[in-house]
Amino acid sequence: MKTWKVKKTYSRGYALGPARIIEKKEIRTVYDKITGDNITAEIKRFDEAVEEGCRELMELSGKSEIFAAHAALASDIALREGVENKIKDKLMCAEEALLETSGEFVFIFESMEDEYMRERAADMKDVCERLLTILSGENENPFEGIEEKSIIIARELTPSDTAKMNLKLVAGFVMELGGATSHVSIMAKNLGIPCLTGAEGVLKGVKDKDFIIMDAGAGEIFAEPSKDLIEEYEEKAGKWREEEKRLRESAGLPSLTKDGIRFELCANAGNPEEVRGAAEYEIDGIGLFRSEFLYMGSDHFPTEEEQFFAYKEAACLLKDKELTIRTLDIGGDKELKYWQLPKEENPFLGYRAIRICLKEPDIFKPQLRAILRAGAFGNVRIMYPMITSVEEIREANKILEQCKKELEEEGIPYKKDIQTGIMIETPAAVMIAEELAKEADFFSIGTNDLTQYFLAADRGNEKVAEIYNSYHPSVLRAIAATIRAAHKQGIKAGMCGEFASDEKAAVLLLGMGLDEFSMSAGEISRVKSRLRETDYKEAKETADNILSKGSVTEVINCLI
Amino acid sequence: MVKEKITVVNKSGIHMRPATELSKLAAGLSSDIKIISGGMEVNPKSILILMSAGITKGTEIEVICEGETEEQDLKILLEAIAGGLGEE
Repeated sequence: MKTWKVKKTYSRGYALGPARIIEKKEIRTVYDKITGDNITAEIKRFDEAVEEGCRELMELSGKSEIFAAHAALASDIALREGVENKIKDKLMCAEEALLETSGEFVFIFESMEDEYMRERAADMKDVCERLLTILSGENENPFEGIEEKSIIIARELTPSDTAKMNLKLVAGFVMELGGATSHVSIMAKNLGIPCLTGAEGVLKGVKDKDFIIMDAGAGEIFAEPSKDLIEEYEEKAGKWREEEKRLRESAGLPSLTKDGIRFELCANAGNPEEVRGAAEYEIDGIGLFRSEFLYMGSDHFPTEEEQFFAYKEAACLLKDKELTIRTLDIGGDKELKYWQLPKEENPFLGYRAIRICLKEPDIFKPQLRAILRAGAFGNVRIMYPMITSVEEIREANKILEQCKKELEEEGIPYKKDIQTGIMIETPAAVMIAEELAKEADFFSIGTNDLTQYFLAADRGNEKVAEIYNSYHPSVLRAIAATIRAAHKQGIKAGMCGEFASDEKAAVLLLGMGLDEFSMSAGEISRVKSRLRETDYKEAKETADNILSKGSVTEVINCLI
Repeated sequence: MVKEKITVVNKSGIHMRPATELSKLAAGLSSDIKIISGGMEVNPKSILILMSAGITKGTEIEVICEGETEEQDLKILLEAIAGGLGEE
């Protein structure tokens, strides 16, 4: 048996079946030069190929609107101009002139910052391939002869390729190239077909008709698996199909419990691209926008302008939905290449997050100004991490007021009434939650750090990993106390840790009165479906009962 | 020759769909049309050139028309760009 593992997955589900390897002919890159007498004929040959290509594409445009766009690209005047010049000046044949010209545009698109635009390079290549096929006079369908439901394995598939396929016979897609916004990913997602992209090396190890298991959620591919493994995955696949059916039924329905209590579901995101992906789900907003990505993915402190553009893009994508931006949360295990902090003996108890920001206004102020300015474009909120005292939130808000004053004086638009909330992730914050609730507009409970600090157990340390458990009564009581304090002061309490996406925990949290659940976008439909089946009154009773238990074992027993 | 500056409102900037709209519109007008973005001259009749220019939301571009119907053509283009080029 051979196995592969893909790190980044954008899909879920299982597929079992024979492999179908799609190999496309290598595109020739060396061509003979033409003679001066043939220039006009060669240009005519190109024009005829474009005409034929557009005719094919318009026929296909009923299948997907992408083909109408491809037709527009094929007949683009800049493409035509480039090809004509290369035929005339460099005596290239139509094929070579087309390859060169489209290659120039592919290069431009691939070097763009926006991931969406980078994927357009694939559209250009697809159009170029179609025209080359027409010019070569060959036309065969690599998908012919698929008779049973198969797993399609290819280096890369274009919209033109998938248009030739009978999708009823596709159990799954495995691509060596591509990402979340590639054509195949989007199409597979819409059709509910499991899909893995970036599966480097699969083509080398798999033969046509080899039996394949793919687990799109975990990013795993097995070729020629044992009988036992096939049985195991057939069972998983069956459960998944049932689950999918249940989720499809709850999609589009309101976020209400059985007895009509509303709950809010938000997504966590780390960059505008993830916001774009999350916005496709039914979400109430982004409950946690980790601003670190801007800092960690850069080779310098991102400027106010750079941050403003990223936040603004995210705010615009969400329209009126909330975008909660957490201010810089570095230190602990998150480092910046360009700003070395002295080694600390206990980094998690050290100089991190808001502690750094309050000491370094040159770092903090550009971020606050960028968030305030982005606030003019959407429903933006600020969230301070690692708060341990009332003084810290007052101090942070004081700096925020200075930033507002500066923007006012400079005549730059910003969100005047921006909401400021805090993360509750330290025992100190839990103990003074009521006082903090008087200063903050909202709470968001960060269960990962909260659990680690409450239990004094590093979850990365295997020796104490079993102590780290968010179901520990101390952690549950801390969460309940935080929610109570928030409600007493009339503010909302949310959660943006992994705990909120644990189905059993979600029911318990609902019973404790949690208002907002924020998690990775892919988890939302599962949690939504579970909470919709829950009766709030019953959940509250169960939660009260669980909160009275003093040991993890008793808590776990109550959950089952 | 007439010209006027305008800000692009499309949420993802001038990507494929708005570029297609704009190029179709420009190809149907009789004026010589140029767009200046970030100091670069862009031919709005080509989708590929429009997309290559990487015009993002909030970018200020200048539209220049020259020809017998320049006033009218400029007005048509500005209205279309302000209206989001077929996007909501």
